[in-house]
Parts: sequence; structure tokens; C-alpha cells
Amino acid sequence: MTDHDAVRDLLAAWAFGALPPAERQSVPAHLAECETCAAEAARLRETVRLLDGPAMNGTPPPATSDVLSAALGARPAAPRVAAHAAPYAAAVAGVKALLPEAEGRWSTPVVHDWDVHATLAHLLAADEPLAGRLGIAPRVPATPVPEGMSWGEAWDRRTAEVIAHEHGRTPAQTVGDWAAQAAALLAAPEARVPELAARATELMGVRLPVADHYVVRAFETWIHTDDIGRALGLTVPPPPAGYLGQLVRLAVRVLGLALGPAAPPVLFAVDGDQQWVLGSEDEPVHGELALDPVDFCLLVGGRHTPDQVPHRATGDEGAVRNVLERAASLSWL
Amino acid sequence: MESTGETSVRQPADAELHRRLVYGDESALAEAYQAYGALVRRVAVRVTRSPGAAEDVAQEVFAQLWSRPYAFDAARGSLRTWLSMLAHRRAVDWVRSEARHRKDARADDSALHAIPDASPGPDETVVDRERSLLLHSALAELPQPQREVVHLAYFAGRTYRQAAVELGIPEGTAKTRLRTALRSLAESLADPPDPALERGA
Repeated sequence: MTDHDAVRDLLAAWAFGALPPAERQSVPAHLAECETCAAEAARLRETVRLLDGPAMNGTPPPATSDVLSAALGARPAAPRVAAHAAPYAAAVAGVKALLPEAEGRWSTPVVHDWDVHATLAHLLAADEPLAGRLGIAPRVPATPVPEGMSWGEAWDRRTAEVIAHEHGRTPAQTVGDWAAQAAALLAAPEARVPELAARATELMGVRLPVADHYVVRAFETWIHTDDIGRALGLTVPPPPAGYLGQLVRLAVRVLGLALGPAAPPVLFAVDGDQQWVLGSEDEPVHGELALDPVDFCLLVGGRHTPDQVPHRATGDEGAVRNVLERAASLSWL
Repeated sequence: MESTGETSVRQPADAELHRRLVYGDESALAEAYQAYGALVRRVAVRVTRSPGAAEDVAQEVFAQLWSRPYAFDAARGSLRTWLSMLAHRRAVDWVRSEARHRKDARADDSALHAIPDASPGPDETVVDRERSLLLHSALAELPQPQREVVHLAYFAGRTYRQAAVELGIPEGTAKTRLRTALRSLAESLADPPDPALERGA
């Protein structure tokens, strides 16, 4: 390449002031001897001069708080709550971040036979049992559950009822009710005072401290947000690592309970988190199983099958398979 | 202040910041402002010539990032260029709507034809001011791949080599895009001015 070609290639970067120091010196020397390039350089420089405008007097940047408070006025931050409720506060904020993208697309199919609107209605129904236990009145009038109906049947029935009810209303009304109920859950003393959340209560067939039920709400809310994101063609990031760890640890505990003390023991690891021995404590470990935290949550949430969930395993295939299948069977979503 | 140089960690860092914005972590908003607030103001003031307007633009830009986080996609570009381009677009919109207001005001006061038009600073002629607005409007319309390089090289003060690394493109491509962009801006000066920015009378 001749000097002329090389410099001509650099002229725009030179005019923008975007040449590294070592390349700057070649330009003026060539411009002194090449009229064509000198004319082009003058034209490009003048264009940049006009873009620049005159130097502005250095005005001190205004207080940070103006910009930040304006933003926080448009969308409130996740409320500050105790550690056990923080993943739910974040998951609720995550739904609100996604909802503007659903505008005009509320009837996009999501999962089961639900569209975006119905998925929100399901979240409204799904938060209800915990809300009810904390004394928060239901937003949609409830019909009595027949004696002896299992929690699973009652749960499906209530979801169907709320979806039917909400389909007679606008998406904005459903969002408003869901958000109000979520806000009430996060404003409850049980969300703020760990001691109040320590008492155990049975919801959805499992007896856990109220604190853990908040983590379950976060889990389900995130999984459905991810469902809505996929339906809208958007990638929903997983919850921040600390919250994801809380979801993982609760799911592992529930998985351990479901496997029971007689299952062939498996050393179970979730990347970036601790390891657990699941199953019998009286035998040596039969196999090892490791998963990514998001994949593990998607398996427990019923969004991965035991066959296709990415995992690493060694040892007894049957013992490992048993853990994967039991994890998938926990799904109620 | 704006960080420089850490281009190799750019995308994971952007994705992590985006994740926290999505989940309503206000410290992520404060970090984004800390990192890019100065750049956003610099872009806006260069277009509007008004610190007050630049402040409004900065508010709009960060409110948009915070309340519509999915409008930014870390897989399609860096947060730095996205915010810079958004600030520029909003600033150009601000100037256009100012120009319309002035025109309306002039129509109302047509008897008083001594009102100065644009309000150039002491160092800028009215003609230069108009040509500048024309250029910034043309810049806002450039294809995105060209605009990204211009924003990094011009507003964010990167060399064309640094811009290439940050965008993940060959250096020669960065150079060519800068050249194509600046030439088409220079040519837009030769075209008749945008009627929205044209002076009345």
C-alpha cells in the first residue's frame, strides 16, 4: 500500500481524533505534499468542527440524585425486605420489568393453554395461599373447596377459576391485582421480621417455615417470567447469584426429603454452590451428579426433562437417574 | 467517571449489570449512571448546546434503561454505545421540537420580525449552528454499524483500534465504517437542509 492509500484510509479516524499516537504523525507529512488528500482532510475536519460546536463552559454535573430519583419514580426499586423474602421481591421486580414488552401481545401463547394474560392470572392465584395464610384477603372471590380434594386439584381448580375471571377483565386490571397482592406479601411483617417467618405452615402439600414459602414464591414467579420471556422472544436472565443460590438450596432440601433416607446415596453438586449427599447415610456414595444451577431449577420447575437436562454424572447410572427423576417429579408449575 | 480500556470484560459485565437492573436492584442503576452519566451528558450537550436540556436527556435515558431494561440487549452491543446512541437520538429530538416551538412562536409574533432564531453562543454563527443540527440529524439516521463506531471514536474518545476491539470487528472495518460515516455526513451538508430545521422567512 502506498503512503497515499494508507493516509487516505486514516483520514476519517484522524478527523475524529481517533488515531493512536503512533499513527498520527504520518498524516500531516502526507497532506503537505498531496492536494487531493489535503482537500479531503479539510472537508472532513470542517464536518467534525461543525459537529463539535463551540467549546461549552464547564458546567458542573448536576446532583446525581435528580437523574436517579426520576428513574426510580418511573419504576420503584425492589423493596428492602429480610433475606428470605428478597428473592421474591427481586422476582416481582423482574415480572414488572418484562411486562412493558407484553403490551399489545397479551394473547401470545406461553405454557399449558395459557397466554401471557392467563399466566399473570395464574401467578395471582398461585400467590394466594401464602397471602391467605398471612391474612391478606383474596383479590378474586373464592369458591369453597370440596372436602377431601387434594391440594393439587384445589390448586388447578383455583387457577382455572382465576383465569376465567381475569379473562373477563383487561390485562392491566389483572396486573394491578397481581402487583397489589405481591406488594401486600412484601409489606407483611413476615417479609421483614425473620422471627415471624420462622413458624412452619403447610402450603401446597409441603410443610415449611413461612420464610421458605417466600422462596418458593420467588422460584415459581421467576420460572413463569422465563416462560413469558420465551414466548415473547426475550431472554430473561436468571436471578442474581445470591438469590439463585437460595432457590437452589431450598430445592435441594425438598429433593432430599422426597428421596427419603433409603434411596441409594448420590453426591450431588450444583456449580458454584456446595455439595450434598442425597439419600441413605448408611452406605457409601453410589454415584456423583453435577448440574448448573439454572438447569437444576428448570428441571425442578418442570422446564427440563431428566433425559435432556444438561448434567455430568459418574458411577451408578440407576442411582443418578433416580435423583434426576425425583427432581423432575417435584414440579407443580 | 467513565471507565476506559476494560474491553475484554465488557460483555459479561454488561450482562451482569443488566441482570441486576431487570431484578430491580437500584445499586445497578447507580453504577450505570456512575459509569456512563458523563458520556450521556457530553453527547446531549454537544447536540443541544444546553446543560439544562442535557440534564433532561440524561433523566430520560436513565429512566428508560431502568424502567424498560429489555430495550437493551447485551448480546447485540455494549451498554456504552447503546446509552450513547439513545442520548444522541433523544437530544436530536429535543432540538427538533425546540425548532418547531420557535417557528410557532415566530408565526404568532410575525409583526416582530427582529427575534433572533437559533441562539448561537458568542463563538458560533447562526449558519454554523444550523449546519451542526443538520449533521447531528444525519448522524442519528446512519446505519447502526456505522453509528456505533462513530459513537465510540467520537463521543467516547476511543481510538479506531480500541473501538474495533470493543465492537468485536476487524480494525480495517472500523476504519472503513468511520470513513463511510464521515463522508456521508459531509455530503449531507451539500443537500438541501431539513425543513424542520430551516429558518422561517
